[in-house]
Amino acid sequence: MTDAGSNHDDAATTGLGAATTLPLRIRERARRSPAQIAMRDKNFGLWEQTTWNEYWETSELVGHALLSLGVQVGDRVAVHSENRREWLFADVGTVAVRAATVGLYPTNPPPEVLHLLRDSGASVLIAEDQEQLDKALEISDQLPQLRHIVYIEPRGITGHYTDERLISWQDFLVLGAEHKAAHPSAVDELAESAQPDDLATLIYTSGTTGPPKGAMLTLDNVEFAIERFARKEAFFRPAATSRDIMVSYLPLCHVAERAFTTWLNAGVGTQVNFAESVETVQTALREVQPTIVFGVPRIWEKIVAGIHIRMSGASRLKRAVFGVCMKAADWIGDTLVANRGQHTVLTRLVYFICWVICFRALRERLGLRHTRYAASGAAPIAPELLKFFMGIGVKMHEVYGMTENSAMGSANMPGRVLLGTVGEPHPGVEITVDENTGEILTRHRGNFAGYWNRPEATAETLDAEGWLHTGDVGEWVEDTHLKITDRIKDIIITAGGKNISPSEIENSLKASPYVKEAVVIGDRRRFLTALIGIEQDTVGDWAQQRRLAFTTYRDLSEKPEVRELIQGVVDETNEKFAQVETIKKFWMLPKELDHDEGELTATQKVKRSAVEQQFASAIEAMYTDRVPEGAHQ
Amino acid sequence: MTTPNTSNIGARAYPTAGKPRPPRGRALLRTSYAQDMALLNTPAKRWSTLALIVAGFLTPLLITDDLLQVLTLGLFAAIGAIGLNLVTGYAGQVSLGHAFFLGLGAYTAAVLGGDAEGRLLGLGMPMYIWLPAAGLVAAAAGLLIGPIAVRLRGLYLAIVTLGVVFLGLHIFREANTLTGGPGVGRRAPDLELFGINFSASGGIPGVDWTRDQQLFLVALVFLVIFGVAARNIARSGVGRAFSAIRDRDVAAAVIGVDLTAHKVLAFALSSFYAGVCGALYYTVVRVIEPTSFDLLLSVQFLAMILIGGVATISGAIMGAIFITALGRIAIEIAHVVPFVSSSVTGGGLFNVFQLEGILYGLLIIVFLIAEPRGLYGIWIRIRNYWKGWPFSY
Repeated sequence: MTDAGSNHDDAATTGLGAATTLPLRIRERARRSPAQIAMRDKNFGLWEQTTWNEYWETSELVGHALLSLGVQVGDRVAVHSENRREWLFADVGTVAVRAATVGLYPTNPPPEVLHLLRDSGASVLIAEDQEQLDKALEISDQLPQLRHIVYIEPRGITGHYTDERLISWQDFLVLGAEHKAAHPSAVDELAESAQPDDLATLIYTSGTTGPPKGAMLTLDNVEFAIERFARKEAFFRPAATSRDIMVSYLPLCHVAERAFTTWLNAGVGTQVNFAESVETVQTALREVQPTIVFGVPRIWEKIVAGIHIRMSGASRLKRAVFGVCMKAADWIGDTLVANRGQHTVLTRLVYFICWVICFRALRERLGLRHTRYAASGAAPIAPELLKFFMGIGVKMHEVYGMTENSAMGSANMPGRVLLGTVGEPHPGVEITVDENTGEILTRHRGNFAGYWNRPEATAETLDAEGWLHTGDVGEWVEDTHLKITDRIKDIIITAGGKNISPSEIENSLKASPYVKEAVVIGDRRRFLTALIGIEQDTVGDWAQQRRLAFTTYRDLSEKPEVRELIQGVVDETNEKFAQVETIKKFWMLPKELDHDEGELTATQKVKRSAVEQQFASAIEAMYTDRVPEGAHQ
Repeated sequence: MTTPNTSNIGARAYPTAGKPRPPRGRALLRTSYAQDMALLNTPAKRWSTLALIVAGFLTPLLITDDLLQVLTLGLFAAIGAIGLNLVTGYAGQVSLGHAFFLGLGAYTAAVLGGDAEGRLLGLGMPMYIWLPAAGLVAAAAGLLIGPIAVRLRGLYLAIVTLGVVFLGLHIFREANTLTGGPGVGRRAPDLELFGINFSASGGIPGVDWTRDQQLFLVALVFLVIFGVAARNIARSGVGRAFSAIRDRDVAAAVIGVDLTAHKVLAFALSSFYAGVCGALYYTVVRVIEPTSFDLLLSVQFLAMILIGGVATISGAIMGAIFITALGRIAIEIAHVVPFVSSSVTGGGLFNVFQLEGILYGLLIIVFLIAEPRGLYGIWIRIRNYWKGWPFSY
């Protein structure tokens, strides 16, 4: 499965010789370029810089501290924090002593924290602040194996908590320093004796259908991913280098962000920047102006919605200029799509004019001015959105991967973009489409080792020949590009026996800045219906401009005018689809879907079954002849 | 086993030395507070300032001498306006006494730098003595006014400073041996620095420049020096204390601002600027007449900062140039508009001097109502329009 040739090739591109695990790569960088910037972290308005030397030294101290706390080879260390440098120190330090990292979403409520900590059996938890610490302490009496809790931010904790398992980050590092003084080479030795099949991390799937399962990624899996990043012919062209700048803002416990933050950083030395908090990501993007941006569809949707809101409040001249440029962007986007993402002379000329009068400034405001590579992944995205970004000059590429294959599946390559597909398989990645079920199968070194403590689930996913069953249905386009239809489980079979992919329809609806959530329903039904949740910011803005008074989300979404607005969006979508795929009725969600109430996963994916169950009566009403509640028809 | 040094473990390596530039093309990515506080903290500001200074130094080559003289007076007046802005704009202490400090500076310079053999008292000292002395004498007077400001606020303070103007006017009228007396006055000293007499044509060796061109150059250099100094005061702890006092003195005192010290300091600094302005301004006018330091002069300086922009340095400069050029603007209007005569005796509805007075009043009213932030505010509006492009906010 592994190709020795490409290994050699990769070592040459990264220039790191024999260093072939995540911690060793970082140690090697610290030795070769100790004073170069590895990451920046914004605190009190300043971007504090961390050099490679500081990165490795602190990670090494974390490793020593873990040893001093009695962490053994193969143990699990959980991290429950927003993105910040301590996350990376903890991750690398843990893997350096041959233990495995388990990431928890900062938004995880206590019951989920309990599930993840109990399922993984973590003996040490690194919690960011009082908020995360309280979640752990609330359920810690059910976690006998949890021996130590390290907290990073001491505010509100020091002097207020008496639990003897607690230790501050500062003391934790002091512990490491003491251990290092006594056993100077303990971490080095462990890191060097690591085996390729050592467990590096447990990444919990989002769990749209059941409780999250821990996917085991080994050192070799991670290494495979790092090697893909470092290659010239996967993702970027020209290849990413230490001059590339990124902003890390999606949860690090998700495989995609871990890949783009930790692994890419270790692999090619990109500079990672951490925003102050989730709320300040927009500002951070603007200040950092990253060269490489990875986003999930929701982020790109929000950016577009933000542009529309701010534009609607702009002066007449600005609106006019923007309108003209958007028409041009539309045309440029269309041409680029037809040309696989390559410019023609005419598009270049038109783009240049629009760049001078609008796009340059627009991209600067969005923080995408210097972006040479933008990617969308982790969930399906409406092609219209990708086209919009291509039109304003952001080179947007849809990529495909999942936790179980270390995020390495396929990607649209610069210059060979085929809109609506997830691109071509990476070098060294085998992808095939099952002839009977249409399911996409992948096979490569990055395929995970199995689900933690769930052999039967593993057996369902990984077959004897080493193929990973992704659970996605897809097909080949032009024999080179992979197109994903939907999740197998989500495919709707109508009462008429027609197979329909709901996510395509949902994404088309969500391409409107006014729609935040759309859930298409119709399995074993006569026709399709949809539950639609509005984007409060844009619709609220729209309502204000029409002097429409409203109080709450519910009040707003039940306004007949808003319903009419959404009806327009639905009609527009219906035009794009065949008769059986049109939405005959829809119902406005009276509340925003929420992670805490179990309607969304930590990654903001809709849990269909939970939503369908919660709004069952409204759904039934749409299929009976009586007028559905709140429909105002 | 050696005990490890654990004191700085986990301590963050804060950037300390100097002010490292942010990465290229990312001016907003600040890695130290020094970058954030820098006077020219964005490339756009750096480039436009450079362009402005270059344009400033090219001006004497491009503009006729009579216009140049108006601008020179404007630049020197700007130093005084900046001074008034420090005490009134930044520290919020209304001062009508600015004319007194200007006069004090002008006469100090005249006495120290004046002809030792002449009719009036003169010591014949060089400029590097009379110029700082003019500032210091005025500052000393400011120090005396300062304590009053500690006890009074708003209108009451304005009335007291008004009293200072009348006291000063009386002294200037009566001290004949120093000032020459009303209607006569005395000559201002020559601007002579580094052996170069800027007040005489061809003063700079090897360059064939007129008096007006040379004086403009001197004015520009002094304005840059005093302007940069004032910007630095404004962005320092002292400047922030001034603003805190302006916004609410009780609140400022609560957060630890020493009211007495800062109010006195504001008056002293402002008076220093006024003294220097007075000394320099009259080297262009040549004759110092004691009755010119009256309330009208104070009001003119207030108009400069109101029309220019309260609590801004660039606003004070714009306002000063605008107000000093108002006479000239009135004359230009008289050429175009038929019912304004260009001389005192000529026909027409009113003459240029009356027009100038009317313009004063109108401008102050219009600015206070329509754009309280002055010319600077207009500039900010224009800048923000383009800064937000393609959005409005």
